[in-house]
Amino acid sequence: LRLNAVAFVSPQNHPILIRTFGQQRQDELKYHYIAHTSLDVIDERIAAAATSKSTECYLNLLYTMEDVAVYGFITPLKVKIIIALALSDAVVRDVDVVTIFKALHTAYRHAVANPFLKL
Amino acid sequence: MFVAGLEDLSQPPPPQSPTQSAAPQDPFAALSVRLREVLLAQRKAAIWQPEKNRTFKVLLADKDMRFPPRKVEDLQTRTFHSPLSPLMPSSPMYPDGLISPFWIRKHTTLVPAVFVIFMRIYESPVQAPRSPLDVPDADREREREAEERRRDTELAADIAQRKKHMNDYGVKLTVVLLASRRMLDDPALDNRLTFIRRQSGLDPRAALFVLSPVSQAEIGDFVRSLQDALYEPAVEYYTNHSKRVRRKRNKHSQTVSSYPLPMSPIGAAAATPRPLRPEGWTVRYEYKMACFAEFRGEDEIALKHYQDAYSSLLIMFGSTAILPPRTKRWSEARVLADCINVKICKLYLYNNEHSLALAHHNSHIRRFADFSRGWGMGEETFEYWAWLARQYRILAELLEEGTKSTLKIPSHFRTPSQTAALVAAHALESSASQRNLLEAEALRLLGLNPTQALQHPGFYYYMAARCQERRRERFLKALESETAATLPAYGTEKKVDHLAVIVELYTKAHDHFKQFRATGAHGHDRFILWIVNRIAETYCMQRKYQVAVRFFERIARTYRGEGWNSLLLPLLTMWYRCAQQLGDMELSVRLLVEMLSHGEEYNRSDPEVMQEDLLAVLKSTVPSSTDESLVIDSSESEPILESCVVFWKPDVNVGETIPFQILLTAPSGVSMSAIPFTTLSVEFSADVPPLVIQHSAEHSDEVLPQVRTIDLGHIAIPSSDSEEEEEPRIIGGVLRWAPGSTVVLSGTLLSDTPTTVSVVKLHLVLQEGSWTIELPLRPAKHRQQPHTLPRWLVSAQPPRFMPIRHDNYSELRVHHRPHKVYVSVTHHAPAYLGEEYPITVEVCNTDERELDMIMDVLLQPSEFDEAVNHISLDDQKSSSLVKGIPLGVLPPGASLLKTIYLFNDGIAGDRTLDISVQSRSTATPEPSSPASPNLSAEASLVDKSETLQTLTVGAVEAFKVEHDITYRRALGPQAGPSDLRAFSAEHWDDREGGEAVIASKFACAGPSSVVVESIKLVREDGVCAKVVNSSVEDDEDVLAEWLPGDEFCGSCCVSLAPEDDHQEDQDTPGPGAYEITWRRIISSGDRGSLSTSHFTLPPLRPPTDGLVALLDTPPMATLHEPITIRMTVRNGHPSRSANVTVHLEPDSADGFVVAGLRSGRVPILLPGAEEQVLWKLIPIECGYVKVPRIRVLDRRRAVEQAQLQGAQGPLPNNESEADVVHIVDVRWDVKGTSAQGEGNRTSLDGPASGGEPIILVVP
Repeated sequence: LRLNAVAFVSPQNHPILIRTFGQQRQDELKYHYIAHTSLDVIDERIAAAATSKSTECYLNLLYTMEDVAVYGFITPLKVKIIIALALSDAVVRDVDVVTIFKALHTAYRHAVANPFLKL
Repeated sequence: MFVAGLEDLSQPPPPQSPTQSAAPQDPFAALSVRLREVLLAQRKAAIWQPEKNRTFKVLLADKDMRFPPRKVEDLQTRTFHSPLSPLMPSSPMYPDGLISPFWIRKHTTLVPAVFVIFMRIYESPVQAPRSPLDVPDADREREREAEERRRDTELAADIAQRKKHMNDYGVKLTVVLLASRRMLDDPALDNRLTFIRRQSGLDPRAALFVLSPVSQAEIGDFVRSLQDALYEPAVEYYTNHSKRVRRKRNKHSQTVSSYPLPMSPIGAAAATPRPLRPEGWTVRYEYKMACFAEFRGEDEIALKHYQDAYSSLLIMFGSTAILPPRTKRWSEARVLADCINVKICKLYLYNNEHSLALAHHNSHIRRFADFSRGWGMGEETFEYWAWLARQYRILAELLEEGTKSTLKIPSHFRTPSQTAALVAAHALESSASQRNLLEAEALRLLGLNPTQALQHPGFYYYMAARCQERRRERFLKALESETAATLPAYGTEKKVDHLAVIVELYTKAHDHFKQFRATGAHGHDRFILWIVNRIAETYCMQRKYQVAVRFFERIARTYRGEGWNSLLLPLLTMWYRCAQQLGDMELSVRLLVEMLSHGEEYNRSDPEVMQEDLLAVLKSTVPSSTDESLVIDSSESEPILESCVVFWKPDVNVGETIPFQILLTAPSGVSMSAIPFTTLSVEFSADVPPLVIQHSAEHSDEVLPQVRTIDLGHIAIPSSDSEEEEEPRIIGGVLRWAPGSTVVLSGTLLSDTPTTVSVVKLHLVLQEGSWTIELPLRPAKHRQQPHTLPRWLVSAQPPRFMPIRHDNYSELRVHHRPHKVYVSVTHHAPAYLGEEYPITVEVCNTDERELDMIMDVLLQPSEFDEAVNHISLDDQKSSSLVKGIPLGVLPPGASLLKTIYLFNDGIAGDRTLDISVQSRSTATPEPSSPASPNLSAEASLVDKSETLQTLTVGAVEAFKVEHDITYRRALGPQAGPSDLRAFSAEHWDDREGGEAVIASKFACAGPSSVVVESIKLVREDGVCAKVVNSSVEDDEDVLAEWLPGDEFCGSCCVSLAPEDDHQEDQDTPGPGAYEITWRRIISSGDRGSLSTSHFTLPPLRPPTDGLVALLDTPPMATLHEPITIRMTVRNGHPSRSANVTVHLEPDSADGFVVAGLRSGRVPILLPGAEEQVLWKLIPIECGYVKVPRIRVLDRRRAVEQAQLQGAQGPLPNNESEADVVHIVDVRWDVKGTSAQGEGNRTSLDGPASGGEPIILVVP
C-alpha cells in the first residue's frame, strides 16, 4: 500500500491538516479537492450508518478517482480522517486500512493532547 | 435450444411487405398500417438489453428484395468465397483483414433469420343474390372456382420462387395470407390453403398464416403468436451459422498445425501483403461465433467466444511482425479490440459481475497502454490520451445506458448492523445457506480491490474529461514544436475542438453526480462544485468569462463557508483573471481585497504583487458610479484586518474608568503598506459616542513598526438622558500596515450609568482617485480557525502582550457598586427540640448611602421527613420562607436588630437558614413594577444589591428518655370460659396480658440546664391497655433545676387486656405520655421561653403463656402454724385442652408437714380455663425452708402416643413421656417482652424464678 495523502477534517468540515507525500507541488491541490469531495461521500455514509444505528468508525472505500483510492474514517468525536492510497490492481484488505486509520487517529489524539502544539 | 435463450435484437428482420392497397377505406390498408406499427414498435435496438424475450427486431423490406450474394467466385483460384472474406481479392479485407463492419451490418440489416411475407389471397367479388328465390348459378360458380384456382396457382408459384431464394440462405420463409372475414367462413378456404402450401413447397410448420382485418388488440396477439412460432426457426438459423463457422475453425486449426506458414522476410512483407495469419483467422471465427451466440441470446457462450477472440487479438498485437504499427490493418484491429472489450464488459455487467467487468476494462487499458509505448505513442502523445479518453467515455456511456434500465451501482459500504441483519437472516434459513454466509463473510474480511469497485458513470465521464485535458495539453505542446505538422494524426487532431469536448464531458459528469447524490443529503454537493470548478476553468480557456464568473461565484460560497482556503485561493486567482478580462473593475477590486486578506497563504513568492495590482486598478480606472462608495462586505470571507476588541475587565462598577484596546492585525506575508486607507470609524453599542481615526500623513514616511499604538483618549459615556446625537470625535493616526503588523487603538471608558458596552462596527475607508471603498470589519471575527487568544498590549517598546484569560473580553458590563451591608447573627447553639429558639440578626449599613432594606429568611427543607420545623419573624410564621420583612430605611452607620425564632421538632440534627438582606439605594427611584420579567434589562439599572448569610443551627434533644418494661401475670380470679360476665363490655380481661411495669428514666442531655416546671403522666387509656398507677402523680421533688447529666426516674403500672384476635407480634401502643414543661436556662442566667416536651410510653408487647402452673406461697410462716399454699394451673393455649396431673413428692428432709393432694389428676382444662390446687403446710423447722417438691405433668402427648400404640393398658405415668409443666413462683414473676416468633406458647420467665420456692419460718 502506498499512501499518497492524509487529511484531517474537523466535525464542522473545516480542514485541519492535509498532507501529501512524495507529490509534485501542483498535485497537492488535487488532494485538497479529494479531501473536500470525500466529505460528500462521508456525509452519505454517516447518514446510512445513523439509520442503521451503527457506530462503525471505518467508512470503507469512498471512491476511486484517477490514480487514487480514497478511504474514510470518522472518529467518535466526528473528526474525519481521509487517506488517499495509490491505486494498484490488488485487493486492499480492510484490516490494513483500518490499521492505518487507527495509527493516524492515535497520532491525532496525541497531537491534540499536546498543549504546546502549533499547527 | 435453451429454454431461456430468446431471440436477441439484431438479426431476424422479417421484412414484411404489406400489400399496398390504393383505397384508403380498404380495411386491408388499415390492417397493414396497423401491422406495421405493431411490428416496428416491437423492439428498439438498444445498447443495453439484458432482458430476453421472444421478440424480433423487425425491419421493413421490399417484397422482391434479394439478399447479398453468399459466395462469389474468385476468378484467380476458381474457388468460392464470401465477398467479405480476406481470401477474396475483391474484398476490402483482402488479404489480411480481420473482420469488417460490413459483416455485422450484413447480419443485422441485410440478411434476416426469418422472412415473413404478407400477401392477399384472391377473393372473387361477392354477388348479392338478386332475390331469395334466385337459384345459384352453376356456371358462374364454376367460373369463379376456376378463377380462384388460377389465382392460387399464380400465388403459389410466386411463393415458390421466393422460397427457393430463401432456401439458399437457410432463411425461413413464412407467408401470411390476408383474407376478408367472409373468406374465413368459407368452407373452401382450407382446401385452397393446402393447395397453396403444397404448390409452393412451404414448410408444414409455421409457414402459412391467414389473417383478416381485426382490431388492434388482436393484431398484437397475432404478432405475438407469429413470433412465438418463428422463434425457434430463427434460433436454429443462427445455430447453423455457428456450426458452420466452428467447422471452419476446426478445419483451419488442423491445417495450421500440419502446415505452419513460413515466416516471410520482412522486406518481402512490405512489398507483397501477406495473407491473414492463423491467429487472425481464430479472431475472425471466434468473433463470428460470439456474434451468433449473442443473436441467439446466449450470453455466456458469447462472452466466452469474445474472450477467445480478444486473447488471440492480444497475441497479434504482441508482435509488430504480425501487426505492423500505424498500418490500416493495425488501426482496424485496435478498434476491434476496443469493441470486443466493451462487449465483454457489457456481458459481465448483464450478469452483475461488476468487478470482473472493471477488471477486464482495466487490464484492457493497461495492456494497450503498454502496447502504445511500444508503438511510439506513449503517455507523452495526444494520441494516447485521445484513445484513453475514448475508452473512459465508452465505459461511462455504457454504464449510463445500463443505469437507465436495469444496472444498479453497488454500494461499497455496509454497516455492521446490516451485516448482522444479514447474518441473522441467513441463520434463519437452512444450513445450505451457511456456505453463502461464509463466502460473504470472507469477502467482507478481505476487503475489496479498489480498481474493481464500480462507480456511477459520472466518475468515468470525469476521467474521460481529464484525459481530454491531457490530450489538449499534449497537443498544444506538440504544436509548439516545429515538426508538429509531421506528427501522425495531426490532421485529425487539428480539427478537434478540445475545449468543447471537455466541457461536454464535464457537463455529463456533473449531471451524473447530481443524479446519483444521496437523496437525503442536504447541504453542499462538493463533487458537483469540484466539477463545476473544472467547467468554469475550461470556460476560462474558451474565453467565456461571463459564464465562468457566474460559476465561480457559486462555488466560492461553499469554499469560504467551510474554510477550505487551499481550494478557494486558486479559484480566486482564476476568478480575478476573468474579472480582468471582463473589465469588471468593482469585481476585480473585491477579489483583490479578498486575496489580500488571505495573506501569505496566497502568494508566497511576491508579497507586493497584489497591492500593486490593486493600486494600479484604483489609479487607472473609475468606478461605475462615483456617487456611492463601494462597500466590500467580508461577512462571508476573511476580513482584510483581523480585529479584536479587549476590555481589561468584563465587569466594572459605575464611575470606574476601564481601559480597552482594539487590535487590528494585517495578514502576514503580503504587503499592504501602500494602500491608502483614509479613515477608520469605531462605533460602540449603548450611547458611547463614535470615534473616527483619520490618517495623518506626517509620519507615514517612517518605517512601519510591527506594533503601533493610537491613543483614543478617554471616553466618557454620557448619562442616557442626553438624547442628542453625539458628534464623532476625530483623532489622527497612521493607518498603514506592514505585513503582519498590528495597530493597537487604546483608550479608556467611563460610564455613570449601568450599561453594556461592546464595539459594534469597525469601518475602514479607502480612498484613491475617484474610488471610495468601505471595508466593514467584524470585531469578533478571527482569521485562523484555532483562533488566537485575546491579547493585551502591555508595552509598546519593545512590544509585549499578555494573554487575557476571561471569556467575555470583548464586552463590558457596567453596573452599580455593591452596597456595603453587614449582617451578623448571634445565637446560643445548640437549639433544643421543642423550644422556640431565638436567633438575633444584626443588620448594619456601613455604606455611605442611605439604604432601604428588606429581609427574607428561608428555612431549608430538612433532610428528615418527620422534622416539622418552622420559623417566625415578627408576625410572620412559615415552615419554609418568610419573605419581605421590611427593615426600613437605614441611614449610613445605623444598625438594626431582628430576632428570628426557630422552632424545631422531630429529630435532632442540623437546620439551615438562609438570611438575605436586599438593599436599595434610596437615591434611585424604585422601578415601576419590579416583578415583571420583561423589565429585567431595566432592572439592572436600579441600584440594588443583596447580602446573603447562611446559618446552620444544630438541634438536640433536651431530655433523653429510656424505658424499662417488665411484665407480670394476672393473679386475680379469672372468669371461666362459661362466665357470662366475660362478655360484658366493661369486663377487663387481663388474663392474657397481665400487667406491665414501665420504668422511665429522664436524663438532662443538653449542654445547658433546664428548669422543669411540671411533669405529669397524661393518660390515654385504650381498649387494650390502661394505666393503673403512676409514681409521678404527686412527686413535687423533681420540679427543680436540672443540671446537665441529672436523671429522674418515674414508673407506672399498666394493665393489659389484649383483644381476642390480638396478633402476637403486634405492639400495643403505650397508653399515655409524660409531659414535661420546662424552660431553658441560657448561659447568662436568663430563662428561655416555656417549652413542653412529650414522651409517649413505649409500645407494649406482653408475653403469652401456654400451660402454666402458678404457685402462690406466703413469704413467711410461724413455726407450727399451718399455712396454705395455692397452685393455679392455667391453660393459656388458645385452642388445646390440657390433661394435667399434679404430684407432691414429700421428702423426709422436708421442713413441712403437708396436708392435701399428693398425686392426682386435675380435671381436663379447656382453653383459657384454670384450676386451683390447695395444700396446707405446717412448718416444723425454722429458717429458710424449701417447699416440698411439686411436679405438674402435661400428659397430652403421652395419651396421644398411647393411642397410637393402641395399648389399652394403664396410661404410662413416667415423666419421660409427659411434659413437665413449669411452675412459677408468683412472688418472683417477672418477664421480659415476648420474643419475636415465639409460636409454641411456652412459659417465659426470668432467671429469678429458677430456684425452688422458699418460705422463711420464724419461731
